[in-house]
Amino acid sequence: MHAGVSPPRGLAAGVAIVISLSACGTPPPDAATLLKQSSQRMLGLTGFHFQMQISGFTGPDEPVQSAQGDAHPPGLQARVNLKEGGILLEVEVIFAAGNIYLKSFTGGWQQLTPDEVAQFFDARSLFDPDVGLFAAMRETTAAARGNTEKVNGHDTYAIAGHVSGARMHQLLTLIRDQGSYQATYWIETQGSDLWRARLTGNLFDAVKPATITFDFSNHDHPVSVTPPPLG
Amino acid sequence: MITPFRSHRLRSVNRTVLLGLTGAGLFLASLDAYVVVTALLPMLKSVNIAVNRPEQATPIITGFLLGYLAVMPVAGGLSDRFGRLRLFAACLVLFAFGSFLTATAPSLAQLVTGRVLQGAGGGALVPAVLALAADLYPAGDRSPVLGAVSALQEIGSVLGPLWGGLITASSFGWTWIFWINIPAAALLFWALWPEIRAGGEERRPANLDWLGALLATAGLALLTLALYAATPEQSPVGEGVIWQLPLAALCFVLFVWHERRTPHPLINVRRFRDSSFTGSALTNAIAGAGLMVALVYIPVLANAVFSMNASSAALLLFRLMLGIPVGALLGGFAAQRLRSYRLVAALGLVLAAIGFLMLSGWNEGSLTPHLLGSPLTVADAELLLTGFGLGLEIAPVSAALLDAVGEAERGAGASFLIVMRLVGMLVGFSLVAGFGLWEFHRATAHLIPPLPGLNPNFATQYAIYVLKVKQAIFDEYHLIFRATAIALFIGALLAALTLRPLPRPRWR
Repeated sequence: MHAGVSPPRGLAAGVAIVISLSACGTPPPDAATLLKQSSQRMLGLTGFHFQMQISGFTGPDEPVQSAQGDAHPPGLQARVNLKEGGILLEVEVIFAAGNIYLKSFTGGWQQLTPDEVAQFFDARSLFDPDVGLFAAMRETTAAARGNTEKVNGHDTYAIAGHVSGARMHQLLTLIRDQGSYQATYWIETQGSDLWRARLTGNLFDAVKPATITFDFSNHDHPVSVTPPPLG
Repeated sequence: MITPFRSHRLRSVNRTVLLGLTGAGLFLASLDAYVVVTALLPMLKSVNIAVNRPEQATPIITGFLLGYLAVMPVAGGLSDRFGRLRLFAACLVLFAFGSFLTATAPSLAQLVTGRVLQGAGGGALVPAVLALAADLYPAGDRSPVLGAVSALQEIGSVLGPLWGGLITASSFGWTWIFWINIPAAALLFWALWPEIRAGGEERRPANLDWLGALLATAGLALLTLALYAATPEQSPVGEGVIWQLPLAALCFVLFVWHERRTPHPLINVRRFRDSSFTGSALTNAIAGAGLMVALVYIPVLANAVFSMNASSAALLLFRLMLGIPVGALLGGFAAQRLRSYRLVAALGLVLAAIGFLMLSGWNEGSLTPHLLGSPLTVADAELLLTGFGLGLEIAPVSAALLDAVGEAERGAGASFLIVMRLVGMLVGFSLVAGFGLWEFHRATAHLIPPLPGLNPNFATQYAIYVLKVKQAIFDEYHLIFRATAIALFIGALLAALTLRPLPRPRWR
């Protein structure tokens, strides 16, 4: 067998090169544009599934370890894992029609007052269109696009930047409002779905770091949250 | 069925050493059979599962039993085909790998996978070691060796919960229950390697009933899924029970149909027409279920309402476990002496049922009163009695089944006994776990916990709330233990009605 390139194979290689060049032809938008597009996309969804994981130092005032559920902001329903002393407890929460409902260790649903919620973990603002995570995306400074990464089987651009402490404090009042925090977003290359967001820094303590990771899925699967029957 | 080889090569090596090494492996695996019962809560915590979702611990227990049951029917045949030691080594590796997965699990899925593999590896060791022992010793000398191997396995499973509790309560933490298996398995593998590599083992083609094993395993897996109450606040059984249960039944029907036709069945299903055979098999399963309930719920009770740590919980359970070998020894002796299986088996099950009834009356002060001025507490005596009863039935029920199958099928009969016991454990525990938690949720459906902070009476309200929750937990256990007692009474009745008397001893 001779080592040269046979005509059909050469042709195929040529076509492949042309295709890949044309694929590179339109460079991806810059980081700030991607963040804006993704923010808009997420706020326009009819619903999504989310998982939130908090790790690192969270101190005695931050009881939540993880949460997962479905949201169509401001409506949200979730199962939340709380640290209570040395043990983990699961509770369910629903935000619907401006009210907050809790289903704890035993018994049915009870309605909480805003004051009661404020003591624990007021997650109402997490996905708020004005002060929540998706709004914070638009206000991320020094955003830079990294390499494409696979998240849950989807090609995403990893975009890293900074969010001010004051801004993060609006998102979750338990977060300290000093300094600035590192934020990374994983945005799908096609269609700008947000698949993952990670916030890192001394979130709950002046010197000890913590991380909040959000994973999103089921984008645009309609979610409707209704108040649960009480009692 | 185990048919020994007359291997000259194996007889030339030091058979005591060989049996000692493989026996040590078997002991290691049997320790892990029930080791998790005293470590469940910390295990759940490390895979981020909340204490008020205890139903998620169910697969940690059922997974091991399923893995064990899946390999039991084919392990004997596999050891014929590949050699006892090779199968032993392969299972040891599987067991160690399962231990590794369990110890490093970041999620419940991996934890359960690890337990299934541990069960599969550990389950296949039993027939492999029994077959090896039968190879190494001639027919006349074999009985005490086989007895010793079985005893080793029983002692391992009795010590398992204690071992698990002590490690969990120590500064090492629960993962070391499983980490320790890896160097131990590696050491055994290393010691056996020259013998495995020499390849002197005899092998023969074995007629393995793969289809039968597959159908039985599929049926059991579906049954376990159907009974697994993933959301016990809504249903005492699984969500897919409507299709899983009929499918499981179909698998079992196909299994029986297939077993009747295949030339080399796993079990001779025609034996079920013999009431002594069927009766002893069912009694054995019921006793297995009773043991499993005690194994799981005594540590959980100790933990949840007596606020004991893992090692104290293990010690409480150990009182019951201690009664088992005592009862087992006496049961064999008494059955022989009284020349009645049914009397001793029924007596054992009745005693166990009475024990469970006594346990079902426990409340917060039950651990303190002493028994007539003795150092033992009343609770100690109740636990011992329950274990003693559960031990007493073992020998007569097993012997009745082995008598029913006759000399030629004794190996298959012995495997079937283990299988039925495990099936009883699996089904009994699945049912009890689902219905128990369902009852708890039903009882606390309107018990709303007070919230701290703005509430000036929070401390008082919370104390009352905790009391009410404890009472609901007690009510759940009372129900579980009473249901178990009823099942054991039914077992006693079954044994009394079906078990044949001992055959006349014959000299051959």
